[in-house]
Amino acid sequence: MSLLEVTDLTMAFGGLVANDRISFTLHEGEVLGVIGPNGAGKTTLFACIAGFLKPTRGQVRFAGEDITGMRPDRICRRGLVRTFQIVRALPDLTVLQNVMVGAFLRTHAMREARQIAEEVLAFTGLEARAHTPGKNLTIADKKRLEVARALATQPRLLMLDEVMSGLNAQERQQAVTLVRAIQRRGISILLIEHIMDVLLPLSNRVLVLNYGKKIAEGSPDSITRNPEVIAAYLGSSYASPS
Amino acid sequence: MLDRRLPAPLTLTALAVVIGILVTTPLLINNNVFHHTLILIGIYAALAQAWNILGGFAGQISLGNAIFFGIGAYTSSLLLVRAQLSPWLGALAGMALAMVLALLIGYPVFRLAGHYLAIATIALAEIALVVFQNLEFVGGAAGISLPITRDMQGRPTDSWWMLQFNSSKLPYVYLALGVLGVVQVVATLLDRSWIGFFLRAIKNDQTAAAAIGVPVARYKLIALLISSACTALIGTFYAQYLLFVDPETVFGLSLSVLIALVAILGGAGSLWGPFLGAVVLIPLAEATRSQLGGRGTAFDLVIYGLLIMVIAVFQPAGLTGLPERFRPRQRTSVAPAAPADTQMEESLRS
Ligand SMILES: Nc1ncnc2c1ncn2[C@@H]1O[C@H](COP(=O)(O)OP(=O)(O)O)[C@@H](O)[C@H]1O
Ligand SMILES: [Mg+2]
Repeated sequence: MSLLEVTDLTMAFGGLVANDRISFTLHEGEVLGVIGPNGAGKTTLFACIAGFLKPTRGQVRFAGEDITGMRPDRICRRGLVRTFQIVRALPDLTVLQNVMVGAFLRTHAMREARQIAEEVLAFTGLEARAHTPGKNLTIADKKRLEVARALATQPRLLMLDEVMSGLNAQERQQAVTLVRAIQRRGISILLIEHIMDVLLPLSNRVLVLNYGKKIAEGSPDSITRNPEVIAAYLGSSYASPS
Repeated sequence: MLDRRLPAPLTLTALAVVIGILVTTPLLINNNVFHHTLILIGIYAALAQAWNILGGFAGQISLGNAIFFGIGAYTSSLLLVRAQLSPWLGALAGMALAMVLALLIGYPVFRLAGHYLAIATIALAEIALVVFQNLEFVGGAAGISLPITRDMQGRPTDSWWMLQFNSSKLPYVYLALGVLGVVQVVATLLDRSWIGFFLRAIKNDQTAAAAIGVPVARYKLIALLISSACTALIGTFYAQYLLFVDPETVFGLSLSVLIALVAILGGAGSLWGPFLGAVVLIPLAEATRSQLGGRGTAFDLVIYGLLIMVIAVFQPAGLTGLPERFRPRQRTSVAPAAPADTQMEESLRS
């Protein structure tokens, strides 16, 4: 069953077309990878889907409902949540409190929210940081907090925007393990990474963007053999972890 | 908020001591000036706490909370003068009116990005000031004097129902503390509920808050509604205490700014900041006022404004943030890595 359906989505900033008639479908339970060089329009695509930008044209359907242009909090309530590439930990709130804000979407009871948050912190390996204010976290922990907070809203579809960039090899491995564990929980994932080596093994299918256009879609294998994709990435450092 | 509090027994003990002192000292020191000062402290601490729910918790700065104060004061006073209605009922009417106005301000303003709340509230308070100064129906610039409650023999008397006490200031002291207690409890309950979490999330980063399901505009509006209702209630009480209302006193910009200053001086966003700010600032303000004579002069406003700027620059966390400032730095292995992280973050921007 298709959970997310994007049809002819176009987002223009004045003359710059950041997303150009993009269409794709994400199936329930799937990890769909999105790759493309910096500036390809990946983050913009997330912003349009999650309600942070109003697409110039096109439609976004989630779980059978048209959510195009809907407010982000309403979309989140329906079970679609995004993380931010430029991390946005709530600085004055502790890690636990950050995650509890997400948990309060589903319950208004303090104890229950705390329980959900603690469970999510254990799942994401952040328990040791529970009482650290958001502003004092390392970049790796901030990225993990982005994921934890999103999970606390109990989503059906989680959209991760470069949660592995800027991490060292060990931290990246932990993140990969976490993404796999999330998928095992039955949560569908739309995953942006510009490093192919990280993204390909995690994805069931891959979508390739370049200059705002979808240039390829298919299995990880077929993507690596696609001449257009190779051309887009040729000579760039994105093909392997820096 | 959770985890930032003192251990529960300590907090309770501190609370019991503060309440004990507040309840007993007015009896022990039976002096009119002292009682008057306590009443003003109670009123301003409550006003600042009402402001704090909006400005401190949610980060939505109002520089016109006097509009709600004036509505509370005028509504109950007019209902009393024209319809002999008890101020208790007048207070409810004032709170309802203030909330209707808050809705009319907040609904459009919170749907815009940017800091329009401060401008909108200042503008409306100034409009109300001019309108009330020129409307004969509400007493014009001279204001309204409230009728003295008298007994059968025509002597001034005390009445809880008419919320008027002519024999002593003591009941007003306890009423002021009671009003403060109510607002303090409201703030505490909010702080410990999901609403408090949502408001603080909005203050920290409203885009991040929206992403995890916080209906940002709705919760800003909720904060404004609560703040306006509390402020109006205090307005009614103030009118009953002075038995007099005039536009400059209740709608003036200097009142709005003083409310914000008390909260900011004490510590915006903290539960005890407004009380602490009032304890420190109000006796000072009273003393200097009687020295300099007259209120509502531009001079007050200049001093208040300067103070707010000084605090914003040198001690944004206010008085309640002082212990944090002088506490030895906690060991954080994280701190030195921060610049590199920031650079990496920058290089990833795309
Ligand atoms: N708010 C905006 N206003 C104008 N241009 C933007 C805005 N957001 C993104 N862009 C532009 O759109 C293009 C795609 O950006 P982005 O979606 O961030 O790419 P990616 O995430 O794939 O690196 C870039 O050229 C970027 O400069
Ligand atoms: Mg991006």
